[in-house]
Amino acid sequence: MPLSSAVITFPGSNCDRDAQTYLELITGQVPHKIWHNDQIIPKVDIIIIPGGFSFGDYLRSGAMASKSPIIKEVLKHSERGGYVLGICNGFQILTEIGLLSGALNRNVKLKFIAKNCHIKKNNENFFNKKIQNDKILSIPVAHNEGSYYNSEEGLKSLEDNEQVAFLYCDKDGNSNNESNINGSLNHIAGITNKEKNVLGLMPHPERAFQDFHQSQDGQLILESLIS
Amino acid sequence: MNNDLIKQHGLTLEEYGVINDYLKRELTIEELGIFSAMWNEHCCYKTSKKWLKKLPTTNDIVIQGPGENAGVIDIEDNDAIAFKIESHNHPSYIEPFNGSATGVGGILRDIFTMGARPIATLNSIRFGELSNFKTKYLVNAVVKGIGHYGNCIGIPNIGGECEFDSSYNYNNLVNAMAIGHVQKDAIFYSKPKTLGALIVYIGSKTGKDGIHGASMASDVFSEDDEDSKRPSVQVGDPFMEKLLMEGCLELMDAKLIESMQDMGAAGITSSSVEMASKGNLGVEINLDKIPLREPLSAYEILLSESQERMLAVILEENNEKVKNILKKWQIDYEVIGKITDTKRVIFQSKDKIVVDLPVDIIVDSAPEYDRPFNLPLKRKDKEFDLSKLNLEKCLNNILKNINYSHKSWVFDQYDSTVMGNTINEPGLSSGIVKIHNSSKAIGATTDCNPLYIRINPEKGMCLTVCESYRNLIASNLKPMAITNNLNFASPLDQNIMGELVLSINGLKETALYFDTPIVSGNVSLYNQTNDEPIKPTPVIGCVGYNSNYKKIISNSFQKKDQQILMIGNILSPKNSPYFLQDQLGLTEISAFNDICDPDFELEKKHKNFLFDSFDDNLIESCNDISKGGIMHSLIKMIKNELGFSIKIENELDLFVECTAGYIVVISTDNYQKLLDKAESLEVNIRNLGMVTTKGFEINQSKLNFNSIYDKYLNTFSDKINN
Amino acid sequence: MRVKILVRLKKQILEPQGKNIEECLNNLGFSECGNVRQGKLIELDLPEDIKDKSTYIKDICGKLLVNDIIEEYEVL
Repeated sequence: MPLSSAVITFPGSNCDRDAQTYLELITGQVPHKIWHNDQIIPKVDIIIIPGGFSFGDYLRSGAMASKSPIIKEVLKHSERGGYVLGICNGFQILTEIGLLSGALNRNVKLKFIAKNCHIKKNNENFFNKKIQNDKILSIPVAHNEGSYYNSEEGLKSLEDNEQVAFLYCDKDGNSNNESNINGSLNHIAGITNKEKNVLGLMPHPERAFQDFHQSQDGQLILESLIS
Repeated sequence: MNNDLIKQHGLTLEEYGVINDYLKRELTIEELGIFSAMWNEHCCYKTSKKWLKKLPTTNDIVIQGPGENAGVIDIEDNDAIAFKIESHNHPSYIEPFNGSATGVGGILRDIFTMGARPIATLNSIRFGELSNFKTKYLVNAVVKGIGHYGNCIGIPNIGGECEFDSSYNYNNLVNAMAIGHVQKDAIFYSKPKTLGALIVYIGSKTGKDGIHGASMASDVFSEDDEDSKRPSVQVGDPFMEKLLMEGCLELMDAKLIESMQDMGAAGITSSSVEMASKGNLGVEINLDKIPLREPLSAYEILLSESQERMLAVILEENNEKVKNILKKWQIDYEVIGKITDTKRVIFQSKDKIVVDLPVDIIVDSAPEYDRPFNLPLKRKDKEFDLSKLNLEKCLNNILKNINYSHKSWVFDQYDSTVMGNTINEPGLSSGIVKIHNSSKAIGATTDCNPLYIRINPEKGMCLTVCESYRNLIASNLKPMAITNNLNFASPLDQNIMGELVLSINGLKETALYFDTPIVSGNVSLYNQTNDEPIKPTPVIGCVGYNSNYKKIISNSFQKKDQQILMIGNILSPKNSPYFLQDQLGLTEISAFNDICDPDFELEKKHKNFLFDSFDDNLIESCNDISKGGIMHSLIKMIKNELGFSIKIENELDLFVECTAGYIVVISTDNYQKLLDKAESLEVNIRNLGMVTTKGFEINQSKLNFNSIYDKYLNTFSDKINN
Repeated sequence: MRVKILVRLKKQILEPQGKNIEECLNNLGFSECGNVRQGKLIELDLPEDIKDKSTYIKDICGKLLVNDIIEEYEVL
């Protein structure tokens, strides 16, 4: 099944082109390029909200982007069951919109972290169904505010509804303090909404799919959606 | 005009005399400000110009040499690469976070001003010794600042250097290099062409940032000055720069711009004067039109160094279109003047002309000095007692020395994979990115060996440039061209001036021999506080190219049971300065022997041998050898728990420096073929041993792989955090 | 009228900035300092005659300035 797509660019987005390349090379279809002030998104299968520093991340990461005119289109799309993938700043924006629960705080060590990290699948959803349960994915992260937080009830509800999509782990698949690079609650690297058609992910799959990348594991996410 | 005022503006009375004789009238205070900005070292290179002119700057791949915002080289088809390195040393000592951040911002503007989209940055940073009270604070803040700016704007950082030495205790160095990709037929220059065309101001509003910043960069510090200088450091806004970059690139793409110039050091003054000078035209600017953040006088507007601002020339008929594109990107924009044929620079403010100067007095009459200099002392050959050194001690000295440690503490704070085209991340022999939608790969490296250059500036520079070639060659990249950042102490000291002159000479010789022209660069002088000069630090940024990224050779071990070889001339310990410094603890420069002669022929022979062997797919991985010798090079090649087992007759040979040195790893099946090739090209190969899983074995000693490698990885953070 | 709004992470949320400042102060010998928190101050102008000021401020905080999952605010 071919996958039609759109990528939204906010002022300060800097992974929008990377997301477009990711979609184009894997799905074979050129994604629509959407500007944050646009009024409509053509009907597509997936919308990617890319990484970057939307509006400079000046108030809170993703806060101002979540007020852009295009967001109502994202909400419509997700309500009718369309896929939404928010990567890094995109994840932060999705929590600010309220499509995903919780928030992303500053990394515990207060430093920007840019390196390859390991994640593994937790609860199954549209985005990871082609990934084996014991597969350890190697995917780069690059963020200053990726420490996932939710209230106790919020966290419980996530877990009860099987919304925790990915966990940080080490290369052997163990999730421990050391592998939890940014201090996220319960090692959370990615979550979905209840309906599981919206995924927020701190690591960057669009930087791990080409033959010259350190790893090609990022392919698996789009391939899960295509199959 | 009183003499104190002239001196406060960094001009000598003789220099002022030249202006007065020409104009035959008193200068306005605004005009004095202009001369202060344009005639300092930073803008007019008055001390170095005579010597810089001798550098080779052209060959058939150079599209633009020095003199524009960045140099540009041809990489076949319609593709070109723009690149430059620039210093932000003094601002980064006074206010390290903002100083280093705006250094990155400034160099990126230089790149996209040429119409090029930045594709990579590198940073060469140097600090004082760790025991110095300020060093850890500076390292933390400089790294944070560089990361803050580069990460936010979204340009990958692919490499650089980070070195510690007591000579930088009061003058840390921050040199930022940026590389951009541009279509050959879409390069933009700063030269305006059309009479009557509009001069427009694009970007952030003007504030008091950095007033006198450009002059500040040419003062000798005295230590208690820091606080009084603080307000003049610029604050950067990477978000604004991202918008500015996208807005400018869109304007250029739509061919709505005639010429463009970054308002960097010395702000609107230097950008407008340079525009007029390049076009052999005049400019007339109304300062009342400049978007301001706070009320400023004409003098302050002229000298403000507020960041993220551009000056562009557009045709009147495009005005509306330009306005609309910039509005989309939320960028301030104002028509502030026009291009005239008067060959004068005229600024008016509040219906009064405050500056009216002929361009030629500012540019062509700028001072140029031929300062006296000393040649380095002849050195007697000395012997050293090495009896106390052995494998274990030497290895330990390397592992505990922060300069040899893995620099991931630094690199992990820089986004190195944004833009999705990174092939080699920082920490390898060179950083490499792929050109978007193309198979072409661009690699880059920054290098400097200040100790070599202090001992012998000319030879030391030759060796440094050769090392930068080797960094690229090891990955199968052809060295193409160079950008340089000449950091020195006060040239009024004849020994320092000698270092400047002779190292430029060394650069010239090497670049000529290997046909790698110098296409851009920057000079930073007076890096000294009280009587403590920095070591001479002429940093080389070298760019390499391979038309097919699939041909890039890894710098790391690939598979166990592959064979480890080395080529290169192993030096004797007494001629290896870094060995003497870091293994024997030598510090006094007079205690060292002269350094070895560079061996251009051998370097070339090895380059040809490697390129030939890469083409025949004989080599699995390769790494260059520099300070720390064979041992350091092998440690850097460790990956995925692959180590080594080697044999060598004299164990100290593992730690000394080499000329034309490389580690070459091959599959054993190719050994004979490689030997045959080596023989035919008269290359001497030394067989070291094998790649093994978790091996750290030298002759009979089986060392603990995990503890050694962990130490190598963690020394930096352990030392910085404690 | 100048309005100052102090935004902070809620007490129960780990706040590494504050923790770090506290450690640093303690290391400098100011061992009496505890419970350090860092917040951000947002200042803005409102017309003197604005109607229902407190509802208005509540509104701008709720809509943009504060993320009530992790933050709380007070008007100074």
